Amino acid sequence: MSDRRDSRTGSRPLLELEAVSKSFGGVHAVRGVSFQLTPESITGLIGPNGAGKTTLFNLITGLFPANSGRMIYEGETTHKVCIHELVRRGISRTFQNVELFESMSVLENILVGQHSRTRCGMWGSIFRFPWVLREEQQARRNALALLEFVGLEDYAAQKSSDLPFGWQRLLELARALAARPKLLLLDEPAAGLNIVETTQLGELIKKIREQGVTILLVEHDMSLTMTVSDKIIVLDQGVKIAEGPPREVQRDEAVVKAYLGTTG
Amino acid sequence: MDNRSNWHRIAYAALIVIVVLTGMLVSNAYHLQLLTFIGINTLLALGLNMLMGYAGQISLGHAAFYGIGAYTTAILTVHYAISPWLALPAAILIAMAIAYIVGVPTLKLSGYYLGMGTLGFGMIVHILFREWSGVTGGASGFIGIPPLELGPVSFSSGRNYFYLVWAIVLLSLIICRRIIDSRLGRGLRSIHDGEKAARAVGVNTGKLKLQVFVLSAAFSALAGFLYAHLVYFISPGTFDFITSIRIVTMVVIGGMASIWGALLGASLLTLLPEWLHSFSEFEMVVYGLILMSVMIFLPQGLTRGLMDIYERSKRQPDR
Repeated sequence: MSDRRDSRTGSRPLLELEAVSKSFGGVHAVRGVSFQLTPESITGLIGPNGAGKTTLFNLITGLFPANSGRMIYEGETTHKVCIHELVRRGISRTFQNVELFESMSVLENILVGQHSRTRCGMWGSIFRFPWVLREEQQARRNALALLEFVGLEDYAAQKSSDLPFGWQRLLELARALAARPKLLLLDEPAAGLNIVETTQLGELIKKIREQGVTILLVEHDMSLTMTVSDKIIVLDQGVKIAEGPPREVQRDEAVVKAYLGTTG
Repeated sequence: MDNRSNWHRIAYAALIVIVVLTGMLVSNAYHLQLLTFIGINTLLALGLNMLMGYAGQISLGHAAFYGIGAYTTAILTVHYAISPWLALPAAILIAMAIAYIVGVPTLKLSGYYLGMGTLGFGMIVHILFREWSGVTGGASGFIGIPPLELGPVSFSSGRNYFYLVWAIVLLSLIICRRIIDSRLGRGLRSIHDGEKAARAVGVNTGKLKLQVFVLSAAFSALAGFLYAHLVYFISPGTFDFITSIRIVTMVVIGGMASIWGALLGASLLTLLPEWLHSFSEFEMVVYGLILMSVMIFLPQGLTRGLMDIYERSKRQPDR
């Protein structure tokens, strides 16, 4: 294992993967991948199509369990922990193909995002106790603040499916933040965005990190990944082939080969 | 948001006015009973709408919970001479407990399989009603269910029962509205829109689906209780597969994900057979044709369809 501690050493890693593997039938989607995420770092996860990036995301967020290996989040294993419990512990994500709640308004999408941070249940909703109303008001204030953060505050009442695509991405990002994550996983957040929007997204990602959130980013847009990431991890056919600061990784021979191929 | 809750308040007020006026003006016992049936059917549709319209889960066996409510109160009040007002919570709790037990394995299914699972459950319960004759009276039914009384007020008169049922309907509409507008309701709607995303934002989808399944069973049992004490006689045929399908139809025709849709759907499906008597042997043909045309021209159901027509007519003069 080539576990290189980041520049901000001393702190325990927020997330640690040890030889994690996952196969579907005969296909080895992820094979023995190990890495660590330092708190408040931005890590770019890159690799050709089918390299296992999305599978890795789904493993970390608990969508399905790994076949072998260990995942340690904040010093505790995440094996067989339910997704909603992982969200409550601070792991939040966005999807490659924006997955908004389309019948709901922009504001309501963010309110659902706070599900793990609020507690009103059946009786609370029927009897509307004072604490329920306070919780609801607080949730609305939080939601509006988040919409302001991504610049969608004027569209709170709109139906989420009516937003242009780029804004839907921003809304999904705000919804992920509503769970107040410590670890945020972004699955191709710039896909479908134009250059201006991508630049703005890069600024936003940096701002999110400044608030103390650790970010793992899958992205095909190299200029974005290289500018925002502290560290890059490269996957190819389910195996980690390189890890390091953006500049080093760009010169790495194995990486160049994986991307350009040998037949070229 | 405020606009919408104002709208609902106006609708509640309108419903109260309509119910009170109807109760005063209608004196024909048959018509009053028909209107009371609409109320009972509204409760059934409302419960199922929470499950289908908001959580996006289908149940083809809801007549079972309707029957469990009716038979529980029948057995307790007749065999054990327990007051109906004690039998009511018992009926609801038993239906909820059974829904919980059935829901744990069944709700792991989805789509067609959930439909088949609930269908099977409904059939088993129906067979139990029919074959367990020592307790349920078997195929010939259960007679002698006592009328409801509350102190000096007797609900054996059609008018009083009509008011009782509709007061419960109004209360149930308010309860459902409140659930939908809460954190819980948003969680439910998120499951309907996309279960994967709902889980990813931290909604415990399994628990929520089970909760709403149990809730909808409670509404069905309440409807069953009211039905039993309205007609004093119950038989297995009332709680069969066809009834389950009729409840689903009420939800779909009225409009999914709308509490007022439950009311409209229940009204239409209860009144339609009455209006169509004059067609005698063509009754079912016309019935089918009307339901088909509603689905073709207003695929979102009556509530949404009528609202769209209203909004279009409002916009017309500007053009």
